[in-house]
Amino acid sequence: MTTNFVSAAELMAKVLGMPGYDFAIIDHPVSSATDAGLRERAIAALKQGSAMLLR
Amino acid sequence: MIFRVLDPTPEKTAPLGQKAPRLDTLRGKTVGFISNGKEGTKAFFAHMEDVLRKDYGVANVVLRAKPNYSAPAPAAIVGEIKSWDAVISGIGD
Amino acid sequence: MQLASRTYEADSIASVQELYHSNGWTDGLPIVPPTEDAVRACLERVMMTPDQLIGIEPVRELPITAEKLAINAVMAGCLPMHFPVVVTAWMAMMREEFLMHGATASTGGCAVLVVINGPIREEIGALGSFNALGNSDRGTAVIGRAIRLCLINLMDVRPGAIDRSTLGHPGKYSYCVAEDEDDLAWTTLAEQRGLPREASAVTVMAAGAPRQIMNEWTTKPEEILETFAAEMRANLRHYSIHPGNYALIIPKQLREHLQAAKWSKSDIAAFIHERARIHRREWADVGKGNVVRDRGDSVYPAMQSADQLLVIGAGGPAGGFGAVIPPWLGDKSYAVTLPIGACVDCEPPPSVKGSVR
Repeated sequence: MTTNFVSAAELMAKVLGMPGYDFAIIDHPVSSATDAGLRERAIAALKQGSAMLLR
Repeated sequence: MIFRVLDPTPEKTAPLGQKAPRLDTLRGKTVGFISNGKEGTKAFFAHMEDVLRKDYGVANVVLRAKPNYSAPAPAAIVGEIKSWDAVISGIGD
Repeated sequence: MQLASRTYEADSIASVQELYHSNGWTDGLPIVPPTEDAVRACLERVMMTPDQLIGIEPVRELPITAEKLAINAVMAGCLPMHFPVVVTAWMAMMREEFLMHGATASTGGCAVLVVINGPIREEIGALGSFNALGNSDRGTAVIGRAIRLCLINLMDVRPGAIDRSTLGHPGKYSYCVAEDEDDLAWTTLAEQRGLPREASAVTVMAAGAPRQIMNEWTTKPEEILETFAAEMRANLRHYSIHPGNYALIIPKQLREHLQAAKWSKSDIAAFIHERARIHRREWADVGKGNVVRDRGDSVYPAMQSADQLLVIGAGGPAGGFGAVIPPWLGDKSYAVTLPIGACVDCEPPPSVKGSVR
């Protein structure tokens, strides 16, 4: 999720029957970020997200 | 005077879902991305793929973009998920 | 008629208001207390049982029942005579091509424009004359408000919850207009979209705020319509390049010039389709050069085809003021037109899409 959509993600998880679903959070916005900014976000997303995919 | 008034919201809530089993490792696995297709996502997922391969040893990466970023992923993409070991999606702009 | 909803007791009109406001069940304005009698009267009007399924919201598979629509309609101020319009508008909004979740959740901040055609206009006193896009009459005020309260309460489309609008617009309180059919030499909007003139009908469109234009200095159709087309080109540049359903609101004073010159709605749509288009490179002129890249010469029409233009006659008798109502996100969500009917056992009514037919 980008930071500005965290509350949307939390609500959608709840209404879809998965309250408390974990997700990685990266800086908003993506649409106007530089390439270096996108790389940083990708690293940050995987740092948080890889733990969620593993036991 | 007592007003007896009705609840305007749905009483029913969604049945609880269940998480897919987690993996032991990402090494050698196939990871699918479902992108919302918005501006910036192409380069973002390219970096994700690069980092997953180099730093996490992921073997295959599949990128799928939704044809309409405001709609749920179409059935064809959802159907592919079964053939991946893990899926990464997101919400953002 | 047994209602299924939870009930609350309140000892005054003020405590009813606080109960609903504190639960986030309103749009901020006072509501009419939804009592069992008032809700039953709405359901009886459309001959529906409380558990009648209006549709299933696809993203979360949430069933929408007639009872819940009626509760929200009463809260909005609807009388039973207004309820058939609310029910039909919701049936239309739940069509796949309308993309309700996307249209109501988007940062783009559109509202649901509801257009009413046919005899029901006279019954509810919605005639599409003075102040047509504003507070013109009770019927359109409460019907438009009912759509928003239903979204808030049935789908969590609250600001900051599912509704992620950056700005939104005033039409999110109520956005409903009746076409002025009294002296309309043209086909009505619903006729234009394939329904018989004698049927009452509802058209819904995921729509931005109206952009007002003015041209009182000509009687020539091409010049009048060029002003509308220019506003559409401005929208293509400043807001979104996606083609889709645009609505034009044409007031009586301008209609008279167009009708005198024997221009039909189809003629208007064909002319606008030719004129309302820009080159991609024009985006660079308005600060959006980063997304133009190498396709500057591509031409972007406002509509995929002329029949995507919704031409609506409405407005007070004097003044050369018209409006362009732009789509939320063009080809992501299409306008839907349905006839109003109370049939519960028959086949679902046919929908008429805004796309190429």
